[in-house]
Formats: sequence, C-alpha cells, structure tokens
Amino acid sequence: MTEDRQLVSRALKGDRKAFEMIVRKYEQPLTSYLGRVTGEREAALDFAQEIFLKAYCSLRSYRPDFKFSTWLFKIASNHLIDHWRKKKLPTVSIDQPIEEEDGEVLPQVADPGPSVVRKFELAEIREKIERALKSVPAGLRELFVLRHVNEFSYEEIADIKGLPVGTVKNRVFQAKELLRKRMEAA
Amino acid sequence: MTSCPRPEELYLYLEGELGPYDARKLEEHLECCAACRDALAERRLLHEAFTSLPPFEVPDGFARSVMDSLPEPEAVKAGWLNPLLAGAAALAVGLLGFYVLTGTSLVEVLVAVNGFLGSAVARIAPLAVKTLKLGGVLLKVVGDLLALGFEGLGTFTRLLGREGTVAVLGLVLLLTILAVFGARRFLHQGEQS
Repeated sequence: MTEDRQLVSRALKGDRKAFEMIVRKYEQPLTSYLGRVTGEREAALDFAQEIFLKAYCSLRSYRPDFKFSTWLFKIASNHLIDHWRKKKLPTVSIDQPIEEEDGEVLPQVADPGPSVVRKFELAEIREKIERALKSVPAGLRELFVLRHVNEFSYEEIADIKGLPVGTVKNRVFQAKELLRKRMEAA
Repeated sequence: MTSCPRPEELYLYLEGELGPYDARKLEEHLECCAACRDALAERRLLHEAFTSLPPFEVPDGFARSVMDSLPEPEAVKAGWLNPLLAGAAALAVGLLGFYVLTGTSLVEVLVAVNGFLGSAVARIAPLAVKTLKLGGVLLKVVGDLLALGFEGLGTFTRLLGREGTVAVLGLVLLLTILAVFGARRFLHQGEQS
C-alpha cells in the first residue's frame, strides 16, 4: 500500500517509469476483473487500457489516505457502468430480489439436495463456474468477481461500489447461490 | 438442537466472516445435523473453486502499449533552482555577447557591473536605514497613542460606574449593528441598481 503511494507520488512528479510499475502490478487483477465481468477477453484488454489512461489523467485526485487498488477499481467499475449504459444492457436493481424463471433462487434453509459438485473434480467445477458466471446478472457477477477473483474484503467492495456492507454481502451470496443453481441445472 | 443455518451463514463461516459466537453455534449444530454437514461440504468445495479461478492472461507488451497511449506528462513545476539557473545562463550569454560585439574583455565588464552594483547598494543602504528608523518612531507613536486611549477609557468607565458603562456599551453595540445593516442595505441597493 505504501509502495503504491510512493509510486503515485513519483508518477505525479513526472516519473513515467513509476506509473509503468503501477500498470504492471495491476494489469492482471484489473484484466481478470474486467474479463470475468464482461465475459470478453479482447474487450477487457481495451477497457483496461482506457482505465489506466483515466487513472493517469486523474492521478492528482487520488487521496493517499485511501488504498490505491480501491481507487483504481472504483474507476474501473464506473467505466463498466458507463459502458453498460451506452450499450443499454439491463442493470440489476439493488432492492429487488433476483428470481429465476422457475421461482425463488434463494432457499432460506440449508438444502442438501443431490450434491452436484461432488460429481466433478475441482478443475471441472472451475470450468463450469466460468460458463455459469456468464449467465449471472452483471451487477451480481461484478460483486462476485471483486470478492472471489480480486479478493477484496466486503468493506473494500462496499467502498468501490458505494453500497452498504450488508448489501454487498447479500449480493455476493446471491451470486454464489445463483451460480450453484445454474451449475446444478447444467 | 438449534435450527438449521441459512446458506448465507455457511458461506460466511467458510470465509471466516461469521462472528465467533455464531461460528461456535453453527459448529455445534453441525455435530448433530447430517444435512447441514453435507450442505457445508458442498459449499466448501464450491468456495474452493470460486477462490481458485485462474487469472486472465495478459499479453507481454500490454504495459508497454498502455504507456505508449498515455499523454506526455505535464512539465514539472519549476522550483527556485530553474529560474536561478536560467538567470545565470542569460547573464553569461549577455556578457559573452557584449564581449563579442564591443571587444571589451570579460574582466572589464565584470568589474564595471560590480562597480555599478556597489554604487547602487551604497545609494540604497542609507535610504533603507532612514526608512527603518522612521518606522521605529512611527511604531512608538502609535503605541503611546494606544496606551493613552486605554488610560482614557479606564478613567471614563470609572466615572460612569457599572450601570453607565453597560448603557454606553449597549448604545455602541446598537449603533454598530445599525451601521452594519445600513451599510449592507446600501450596498445591496447599489448592486440592484
């Protein structure tokens, strides 16, 4: 974290090498996030480039009392929102429960059922998750990726998305249960 | 036996996000509920898969292409050193030009410049000393006037007594408020017109 602050401080003084170190540090987490949320690798790389450019141009607005990664991902998240708005993709309301065509997605009690995951090895499960992830609503998918791919804490995600921590926890849980259900159906 | 936990609690338990009390309660429940043990095992496997998704591959030259797309950095804000260096360089160029054009040696030019600066300082120094002396005298006069004013005010309040002082202060305050509001109104009217 301190290293990030030092790099930002050097970049602000005109040291391009320092910003390149920031790019090298965050290129993979950022592309993983964008790729998993958009489901398109090439688009993810283009977005990542645009986001680094935005970050570079607004580096003076970064306040060092916040984590740089949180600041960068906030820019990325807003960039995606703009992209979805332009493409007029459906967004998920935070207040509405997510429902499947066949009814309620979220069972309120532990549902042992026929264990689907045991049928597959871990690698197979990952493959299934990747496929199922594409069918999860973008808003939920993004929170799931921030939590489990980028390993942000719930508090950090709340900060990035400007949502209450409880809402983030609930949404990540919904995404996971939705994934489980989609994998079960596959 | 406690009631079965919600699936959300199972995930939070696996992530270590459940509080110690709730975690203990859940563990106690798991000891006597096979269905929840199965549900937890399933979520554990999923959780493992969620947290081990492979990262996206980034092409080798990606960082380079990002750097190439960035605009040129703003010129570094000049500190005190740059103007000083620029001044020195301009002086050196000026002296060199003077030498080339007039044929006067650099040493003579430097001596002449030094003589000019010396005479300027010799003329300015007495003036600066006089200004400082005058400033000292002015400060003393202002200090004496203020002391006199405070003394007069003390005598005046003693003569008036407590009630009289309060009455005069109230009157002064009232007049100040009226003056301020009057001025604001006057200015406001001025803006409107």
